[in-house]
Formats: sequence, structure tokens, C-alpha cells
Amino acid sequence: MSNFKTHLYDEHVKLNAKIVPFAGWDMPVQYTSVKDEVIAVRQNVGMFDVSHMGEFFVTGPDALKFVDYILTNDIVSADNGKAIYSPLCRENGTVIDDLIVYKFSSERILICVNASNIDKDFSWMKSKLSGFNCELTNRSNDYSLIALQGPKSFEVLKKAFPTLTDIEYYSVTEMGSFIFARTGYTGEDGFEIFGTHNEIKELWNKFLSLGVVPCGLASRDVLRLEVCYPLYGHELNDELTPYDATLGWTVKAAKEKFIGKEALASKPAKFKLVKLQLEKGIPRDGYPVVNAKGEVIGLVSSGTMSVTTNKGIALARIEIDKVPTDDVFLVDIRNKHYEAQLFKKPFVTGGHK
Amino acid sequence: MATNIPANLKYTKEHEWIKIEGDVATIGITDFAQSALGDIVFLETPAVGTKLDTGATFGVVESIKSVSDLYVPVSGEVVAKNEDLEGSPEGINSDAYGSWLIKVKMSNTSEVSNLLSAADYENFCNNSH
Repeated sequence: MSNFKTHLYDEHVKLNAKIVPFAGWDMPVQYTSVKDEVIAVRQNVGMFDVSHMGEFFVTGPDALKFVDYILTNDIVSADNGKAIYSPLCRENGTVIDDLIVYKFSSERILICVNASNIDKDFSWMKSKLSGFNCELTNRSNDYSLIALQGPKSFEVLKKAFPTLTDIEYYSVTEMGSFIFARTGYTGEDGFEIFGTHNEIKELWNKFLSLGVVPCGLASRDVLRLEVCYPLYGHELNDELTPYDATLGWTVKAAKEKFIGKEALASKPAKFKLVKLQLEKGIPRDGYPVVNAKGEVIGLVSSGTMSVTTNKGIALARIEIDKVPTDDVFLVDIRNKHYEAQLFKKPFVTGGHK
Repeated sequence: MATNIPANLKYTKEHEWIKIEGDVATIGITDFAQSALGDIVFLETPAVGTKLDTGATFGVVESIKSVSDLYVPVSGEVVAKNEDLEGSPEGINSDAYGSWLIKVKMSNTSEVSNLLSAADYENFCNNSH
């Protein structure tokens, strides 16, 4: 079976992007250099084609009640026009996906999910609909999506949409068929812009003409790891609970009713996700993490060379009863142990509003 | 992909170049390889004195997002390594053929005949993507 292509695929080919298969899609992994693309987003402005991601709409009188029931985070208390990050859990507390909810109103909610989990999420949500007076629609094929990211994002966006007014961080607004959300996956100020395929294609080229640097999946992964955002399939998967990924803040245990509540209340975390930085050596996914005695205590869930700090950085999943009390962590790289420094805060502080 | 393949060097299918001078082989990675890897950020090569067997791995070159093994093109002993390059491996991106990794004193010079000529390597690159 051949992979899906986004409606911007031809634009990527024109730009000589290197294309790789990702979650069933042929996606641009880099255009010029990962380093230049990361720097563009940290210092200026870059854009990503993330049209492969999924868009579900929940509409009707019970929309808010339903979304709040299937998610662990608190959607009810959020104001209209806000965006909320949340895991989607099973009754046993394991994570089906992590996603962003855009709450236009209590009767109209957009959910943006990972490309690799669209079918899994949709059938799960559909199976939970009975008893709720609302409709769930998968609009993934109707929308293209650009993430415009970097300190100059708003300046550029204003040039393309002169009448657009300021949008608060983690908020959403609509103009015509466009949806603008001040969200992203880089830690920088930025926007995710949903629109029809033709509109987004036109916008991509408009942004190019305004000097926005096209960026691929490789730089996106470095950027999100520098600010320690989790990625499904790495920090989260079907076997782990949000607590296992040190995402306790996304579980609002006090909510009256939500899927997974009972299991999450009784299951302590099996793992702790830690942030490690290496002076020498580059940690990679799956490398063992060892303690001062050389015993394996966990694994790197995501690792890369940071472009911004020029150091090896990793998120690592450590077995909860083996977390060293002396804070000594080493990463096993090709059978050699490299010292790692435990970070309490993300490796890079993004400039998001 | 347009790539630079100097005629005076030998090559391997693992995208290494080898310059033969007497019984000493100078080894690096090709322009094709550096371009495919992207920004090179880490290099690990063996110490002088290490004995190497053809086909074994002798080190790694890492870009921001990938790790690639380096394969021994000819057997012998490491007689020099490019220490400067380990501190600034991005030099390979700007000048692949000027950035040698190690020099090997060959234990069996007849192995040179197993290496690819520039023309053969070009052919290999054109058919490998």
C-alpha cells in the first residue's frame, strides 16, 4: 500500500525536501539542514506541514459533557476559546493518545489527534458516544494544517491576515473557514492554522514569499525534545498511564466522572520520566540508562543532539523503584557509560507567550 | 543527486573513500554520505595502534538525528587519527574529501583490488536511490 500524501506534497518536492514515510504518510523530514531549521524557529520563524494530523469535531448539546468524560484533563472549567492538552485513556488508565482540545463553545469542540492514532482514537470515541446527545465527526480529510512557529510568527501572520486580532496563548479563533490556534510543538510562540486544502496551499506559498523557513519533521522532533514535550510512541504508549510519563498534571482526579478515573486513582506510577543532558555522547531512543553501580534502571524514550545547547539530550523512562537517590544517571552508548546531568526544567526555555 | 567523486580515490559501497599511498590507506566518508547524513555532530574513531579487520565496524558518525557505523575497508593497524576532526566533525559536511578520519597501515595490500573505482562508485550511487 502506498503512503498518503498531504495536499502540500508537491510544494515539498518543489523545495527539494527529503521525504520519509511517517505514520503512513510521505512527509518532509528536512528541507535544507536540521540545524538551520531549528535555528529559524528559535530565532525567527519557520513552518511545518502537519496536515497528516487528525481533526475530529464534537457538536451538539452534550458535546462538552462527552469530551470531558473521555479525557483526563478538565475541559469543563476551561473558558470558551481555550485550547487544552489532554491524554485520552482507557478504563484501565493506559493512554490511547495525547491530543489538543479546542473549545469553541460547550456545543462545538475540535479535537486534534496524532496522525498515527486517527483510526484508533475515532473508533474508541465513537464506542463511548451512547447516552450523549452529540455528534462526533472525523474531518481529518477536510483540513490541511500548517504550524507557524517562532518569535516572528505573529508579525508574519498579520501580514497574511491584516484584520486578525491578537490571540492569547493556548487560545483559538476562527476567520472564514480558517481556524487559528496559538499552539504548537516547539516551545516558541506560534500558531496552528487549519483550513481547506486550497487555502492552506495558498497560505504555505504566501508564508514562503514572506521569508518563513519551511521545516521538516526532524527539526520538529529536536525542537519538541529541547522543551521536553512528550511524543506518543516514545514517552507515551498503549501500556503506560499518564502517571508513568510524569504527566500527572493532565489528570484531574477530582473530576466527578471520566474514563480511567478509578484505575488511575489506584495505580501508582511504574516509571518516572527524567530529563538528562550529556556533556559527551548523544543519547538515542532505546539506549539503556544505568546507575552509579552500572545497573540498568531504565531506557531513553527520546534522544537527540540539541541544536540550541549543542549537547546530547534525552527523556528517559526510569523504573520507579530504581530512581537513584544520588541523582547519578549514566547512558549506555555502544557499551560505554556516559555521565548524564539530571535536569529539573526543560533543556531550552521557549519564548511562547 | 549531483555528487563529487574524485577519480584518484577508491571507494566502498558503505560510502567511504580510501586514498592509497604505498601501504597506507587514508579513510574518510564520501560527499554522497555527508549529504545523506546532514549536519554531522559526532565522530568516534579508534585509537592509534588498533588492529582492524575488513568488514568490521571501526567507529560511528552521527548527525543530529542518526547514527551510522563506519566499516573497515582494508585490514591493518591504525597509524593516525584526525584528532582535530573529532572536535569539529561538521568539517566533513563542508569538505568530505579533505576530512580524513583515520590512516591504516595495510596488512594485506591485495585487498585494494576489492575496492570500487570512482566510475564503479558513481554507478553504485546512481542505482542506489
